[in-house]
Amino acid sequence: MERIVHVEKLRMKFPGDESLLFKDLSVSFDRGEKVLLLGPSGCGKSTLLQVLSGLIPNSIEVPMKAEELKWPTSWGYVFQDPDSQFCMPFADEEIAFVLENLSVPKQEMKERIQHHLRQVGLNLKTIHTSIDTLSGGMKQRLAIASVLALEPEVIFLDEPTAMLDPEGTKEIWDLLKGIGRDKTVIIVEHKIDHVLEFIDRIVLFNDDGQIIADGPKDTILSLYKNEMKEHGIWFPGVWDEYIHDNKPIREHQSSDGVPLMQVQGFSGFRKKEEKIKVEELQVHSGEWIVIRGENGAGKSTLLHALMQFIKTNGTYELMGTPIKRVKNLTDHMTFVFQNPEFQFVANSVYEEIAYSLRIDKRTQQEIGERVHSLLEVFRLEAHQDKHPFQLSMGQKRRLSVAASIVIEKKIILLDEPTFGQDSKNTFALLEWFEEYRRRGITVIMVTHDDHISNNFATRIWTVKDGDVISDEKVSTQSGFVETKVLSF
Amino acid sequence: MIVSSAETWLHKVNPSLKLVALIVLCIVALFIHDLNYMMNVTLGVLLLFLCFTGHSIKHILLLSIPFCFIFISTSLTMILFGKGETLWFEWGLISITEESFMRGLLVGFRALLFAALGLTFSLTTRPVNLFYSLMQQVKLKPKYAYSFMAALRLIPIMMEEFQTIRNAMKVRGFEKGKGIRSVYFKMKAYSIPLLSGSIRRAHRIAVAMEAKRFSDTRDRTYYYEFGFSKKDHGFILYFIILLLAGFYLSIQFPLLPI
Amino acid sequence: MKKGLKLTDILVTIVIAVAFGIVYIVWGSLYYSVKPLGLHVDQLIYGMWFIAGPVAFLVLRKPGVALLAEIAAASGEFFLGSPWGLTVLLYGVVQGLFAELVFMAFKYKKFNMSVAVLAAIASCLGSVLMDFAYGEIGALSLWNLSLFMIARFIGSIFFAGVTAYYLVKVLEATGVTNLVRPVSSKDYAELDQK
Ligand SMILES: Nc1ncnc2c1ncn2[C@@H]1O[C@H](COP(=O)(O)OP(=O)(O)OP(=O)(O)O)[C@@H](O)[C@H]1O
Ligand SMILES: Nc1ncnc2c1ncn2[C@@H]1O[C@H](COP(=O)(O)OP(=O)(O)OP(=O)(O)O)[C@@H](O)[C@H]1O
Ligand SMILES: [Mg+2]
Ligand SMILES: [Mg+2]
Repeated sequence: MERIVHVEKLRMKFPGDESLLFKDLSVSFDRGEKVLLLGPSGCGKSTLLQVLSGLIPNSIEVPMKAEELKWPTSWGYVFQDPDSQFCMPFADEEIAFVLENLSVPKQEMKERIQHHLRQVGLNLKTIHTSIDTLSGGMKQRLAIASVLALEPEVIFLDEPTAMLDPEGTKEIWDLLKGIGRDKTVIIVEHKIDHVLEFIDRIVLFNDDGQIIADGPKDTILSLYKNEMKEHGIWFPGVWDEYIHDNKPIREHQSSDGVPLMQVQGFSGFRKKEEKIKVEELQVHSGEWIVIRGENGAGKSTLLHALMQFIKTNGTYELMGTPIKRVKNLTDHMTFVFQNPEFQFVANSVYEEIAYSLRIDKRTQQEIGERVHSLLEVFRLEAHQDKHPFQLSMGQKRRLSVAASIVIEKKIILLDEPTFGQDSKNTFALLEWFEEYRRRGITVIMVTHDDHISNNFATRIWTVKDGDVISDEKVSTQSGFVETKVLSF
Repeated sequence: MIVSSAETWLHKVNPSLKLVALIVLCIVALFIHDLNYMMNVTLGVLLLFLCFTGHSIKHILLLSIPFCFIFISTSLTMILFGKGETLWFEWGLISITEESFMRGLLVGFRALLFAALGLTFSLTTRPVNLFYSLMQQVKLKPKYAYSFMAALRLIPIMMEEFQTIRNAMKVRGFEKGKGIRSVYFKMKAYSIPLLSGSIRRAHRIAVAMEAKRFSDTRDRTYYYEFGFSKKDHGFILYFIILLLAGFYLSIQFPLLPI
Repeated sequence: MKKGLKLTDILVTIVIAVAFGIVYIVWGSLYYSVKPLGLHVDQLIYGMWFIAGPVAFLVLRKPGVALLAEIAAASGEFFLGSPWGLTVLLYGVVQGLFAELVFMAFKYKKFNMSVAVLAAIASCLGSVLMDFAYGEIGALSLWNLSLFMIARFIGSIFFAGVTAYYLVKVLEATGVTNLVRPVSSKDYAELDQK
């Protein structure tokens, strides 16, 4: 077998950090291998992927050294964030950019663009389509198409499906199985359901960025189950074990009295277009509502409408008061954005969590206590002086949740709070919400994770094409008790 | 500009040539000191703007509103406060003389000319086309051209980000403060995340571009190729005729007696 | 200074500039709303138009950045449809060039408030020269012209010098500048620990 990517005794550290992120790490990959890098959030997987491709240190300067380092000659990289990897405004121009870099003659470009778009199943009306009008899933497909245009030997994938719905996730992995057959593929991914069929080797990391196991997937999965559990790494059957050990109970709160929140004939607008419509919904305290739906269905828009970020029409009452007359909406509700980077307002992790407390004029001591307890629960203590943008994807997500729930509000709205998270942190987050809910706080969350709706939700709303089409109540694990079909 | 419109012959003129021609005309205009001549040239350019950008009349008129504003405000300062001999009107510090009035009009027309040239250009040129053409005809380095294109793509994203930051502040209870001091804090609270966010995004995009094997060699191929055509000759001819005829007419048939 | 600016430097500079391009457009309406107040109150806020150069230079600390930033800001403004059209482009080039010359005079080694202020004054000078050609301000009566100049210089020092300096100070606190500045050799040395 020919070694195609290789690093020997890698040492690196981020400027200003005290300890090394990698200390004498060695790993190599053979031509044609399909490898999954698996490890807890923040262990350095994304960073390692950048080192293996040469992005660090060639494009991003980070202090590092290695005794031996072999980069692939031809490679492609799919990034986590679908939004900031394009440099041109239109889909065809983006792929053309790659072709130009490779000096492909102009005459061949049109055809190759069409070919690559077909390869990833991106059926656009015309190839000259504005990237801004594509949904998250379509953008990720385009990113893969432009990587394929490089005709790479090695493909690096950093959680390419973190933002996608189950359907889209499955499609992307099926697609990659097809086109990756004769290529070397190195993958970082937390949700391994669809990935496992594709890969043949797993590299396992611990919290300190050390490799604890490296071998054929079946061996790793059967021999290292305890290590994976201990480090909070997803493996097949985590959920079943968790449910078996913890048995979350979902006794239903009584739903009489004045509803906490009530909407009727309610709709939300983006750029003067109606993007979400609700016929009638009532929310009571102590509920855990999960909002489901495909990418682009309007889930985030619904939360934005409830938060009054966008223009809305119809009846919307909070504890019996029409929303227009509620003075400080944010005294009663809090919100976690889908993209965590959108909501960071402070310059350090610590200050980010303390921000709302300071505005609320809490005492220094109370602030210190509160922030420290949250830092601990969300496992961010070691990073409290970093800038929020310097965190790993999963850490950012946790920070955004911590910062929003630091002051208790009656209603918490969360937009996909568990994406890109390892199992330990996912369960920690869910348990935290569950504790809130028991105290009578209402949790409304958007998620693509069926395990959450099946095991924690007391109620499920389904959104389709800008319409809340069903409202199901769930009380015990036995399943649905009452389903109300709102509209079709 | 991102407004869609019908394509006219102006769209088909080579973008680099168009830009260079317009800049040259602007510089020439800096040296025109004859009001009649200036007026003729300006009218010739306004004709292009009004008839050949391919935009609807309504849209064109809407875009023209700031023109009037610029014209009035630019000329007014000079008219009211300019030097001059032949006094027409005096009131306090204000003194309107014939010379200052004429010079005021001259300056106003010049501003109008620049505005019309600029808008005509941006209404009939896609930025992407301009930068492709600049790489091919003016040998602009690709790293500059693609950076500009990537940055222009970020403009709408930045605008949206402003809204998002506002919402984020709202959620965290920021809006509570009032008064002058809070205006300052608000400015700071918006501008810093916006700027640092944009820098980080720019950095990330630059990395993504290099991951796509971008390098600054000049022997790259181009998806859009630009050359010269009859339209370009026509375009140049239009301005030469405009300058010559404008000059002739300003002497033979002056619009204003000076 | 091998091979000039890198792609990252250029893109970051241009994006900073374009962000200010948007500010410039908003500023334009502010400018015209105070203009009718007369007596050149408007000139006090004119200096905002020179801020992109010093900010970009203080962030990236590399040669050519100030000029590029002013040109890019002007083009951004131009593409977004500024009613001043091509004027802004010409002004942008001249203002950027003047600021760049100041930074060059200090061999691109000084990043303090005084350089920023000097650069602001230089940009202002550039714009005044342009105004003599374009707006014929030489023909204003003397008292009026002096008022005009004083207001503009004060405004420039405040916006493009002092404000730019403090803006970058705050940006530094967010850690974003580390992305674009070279890593210190101390950080490399720490790799050999233990
Ligand atoms: N630019 C940076 N400056 C300082 N520290 C950083 C920077 N980028 C990442 N880190 C730190 O390095 C560690 C590894 O980050 P990395 O993004 O590689 O994690 P990851 O394993 O991909 O995690 P996740 O699964 O959450 O995405 C984290 O603790 C993070 O805080
Ligand atoms: N800021 C915006 N401006 C205009 N249209 C938008 C905006 N955000 C979303 N949309 C559109 O509104 C619709 C609903 O989008 P929304 O973000 O609510 O979907 P979603 O269900 O949250 O999807 P996802 O699972 O991908 O997050 C989509 O058609 C989308 O294109
Ligand atoms: Mg990661
Ligand atoms: Mg969403």
